[in-house]
Amino acid sequence: MNTILGLGFILTAGLFSAKLIKRIKFPAVTAYLLLGILIGPSLFKLVPEGILNSSGLISNIVLGIIAFEIGQNFSRYHLRKIGRPIIWISILEACGAWALVTLAFLLILRQPFYVSLLFGAIASATAPAATVMVIREYRARGNFTDTLLGVVAIDDAWCLIIFSISLAIAQAVYTHMMATSFLIKVFFNSLLSIFGAFILGGVLAIPLSLLYRFIRTQTELLIFTLGFIFLNIGLAIWMHLSVLLSSMFLGAILINSHRYSFKFFDALKCIDSPLFLLFFVLAGANLEMRILPKLGIIGLTYLIFRVIGKMMGASLGAKISNAPESIRRYLGLGLIPQAGVALGVALIAKSDFPIVGEMIFTTIIATTVIYELIGPLCTKYALQKAGEIQAMDVSR
Amino acid sequence: MIQVKDIMSKQVISVIRSTTLKQLLRAFDKFHIFPLVPVVEGDNHLIGIVSFCNLIDAFSSNHPDVLKLVPFLDEEEIDIFKIDITDDIGNLVLVEDVMEREFISIPEDVSIEEAYKLMRLHLKEEFPVIDKSGKLVGMVGIFDCLQAVFRQKGIIK
Repeated sequence: MNTILGLGFILTAGLFSAKLIKRIKFPAVTAYLLLGILIGPSLFKLVPEGILNSSGLISNIVLGIIAFEIGQNFSRYHLRKIGRPIIWISILEACGAWALVTLAFLLILRQPFYVSLLFGAIASATAPAATVMVIREYRARGNFTDTLLGVVAIDDAWCLIIFSISLAIAQAVYTHMMATSFLIKVFFNSLLSIFGAFILGGVLAIPLSLLYRFIRTQTELLIFTLGFIFLNIGLAIWMHLSVLLSSMFLGAILINSHRYSFKFFDALKCIDSPLFLLFFVLAGANLEMRILPKLGIIGLTYLIFRVIGKMMGASLGAKISNAPESIRRYLGLGLIPQAGVALGVALIAKSDFPIVGEMIFTTIIATTVIYELIGPLCTKYALQKAGEIQAMDVSR
Repeated sequence: MIQVKDIMSKQVISVIRSTTLKQLLRAFDKFHIFPLVPVVEGDNHLIGIVSFCNLIDAFSSNHPDVLKLVPFLDEEEIDIFKIDITDDIGNLVLVEDVMEREFISIPEDVSIEEAYKLMRLHLKEEFPVIDKSGKLVGMVGIFDCLQAVFRQKGIIK
């Protein structure tokens, strides 16, 4: 199969598999991922080599776009509006999963520090699609639902920050393991990667704002926005800075500095869906079936400790912010699904750490499928317990 | 230079946050199309807009603001002909539940060329017009710009 035929097949098969899976109440992301596993090299071998080889390119572009869109979370208006409980809960549930999974891998599984840190950072992500689907299906409304939506919306922003810090530390630890002064190097490499990304995103936002006045049509706006996102990704790669952070900072600075900045994000909506589809199918296709049997205890540890970390973190955040009892007890259960951002950052781990990367990536894909299947049931249970699903809806 | 304030419509029907869906629909049931409706508060300060697209949100499970920020979200497919809603929704849904808080408004002193450029760029047919303090002072549409050009060229007097 040639590359273009393969792309056509992936897009059409992805579209219809998503329609099919929606009938049994699962998000499109799950369908794309399962399709990728099915047509990937491990099973039916229907993905052309050319597309598989460009997985890195596609994931960098998609992650840059996602991170840019996630930057919207940091608008002054949004941060003011969401309030203390959502901020506290989202930060602590993300950090809870990060810390607990890192410690579990380090102390129970005796994995190297940098591997544990990467698993912990990936664990901080949440997938809003499955959670939102349950909320929509049961038309849940109320304080618990609003808080849950607010937390899943901003959670991925914290994940990108946590992962970027962890990646910088992991890279520094990995490459300077033998050096005597490695702690100082770790510290400076991490700082350089993070602040460099911040400066790059900030600097690029200036010409973006200045040149905007020459844009005349919606088509030009889309090309202009994409051009700057690509410039940002390319420069970050060239300067060895975090692509995720610089894209997110570009989005965050833009949303706060430009009067009509929301239009840049709206323009992207026209093209991001097929790219996301491609990204998820390729993520599934990259699954290494032969590694799966060896992942038993690693997968199980990740599955269990991520959930415990999220639940404990959410509960602590709710307590600190004086949120109601139902949020304290059940909100963590609504944060179980994991998909897009987790897979994206796992792909980065795979390309940056060739030896352990495959193991990390395969664990994340396998656990993503499990989380996407059990996550909606847990969210429904949490909404029921919080009393925000109507009695007649529950019986459906 | 012709400014927006020279061509805009000054008679504008606006609503407030607490206007109900029923009141909103009644206000425009004699119109042949639902227009862009400005939402104001206090001293005519513009805080949002409602278009016919936002009326569809009355059928959705809501939270449109938060969900705009969420990546990889499946679009909510709403079959407005089959959805099960009761008639009390007319009083329960308020303008503030469906209005857009992020919207484009035009200062009254910009040129009509700039207004026309913004309409083409953002694929909109009309915009609310505000004064320096953010108060709603009118509405301007593509047709107002076209009329001004036709008048300049002497096609209409």
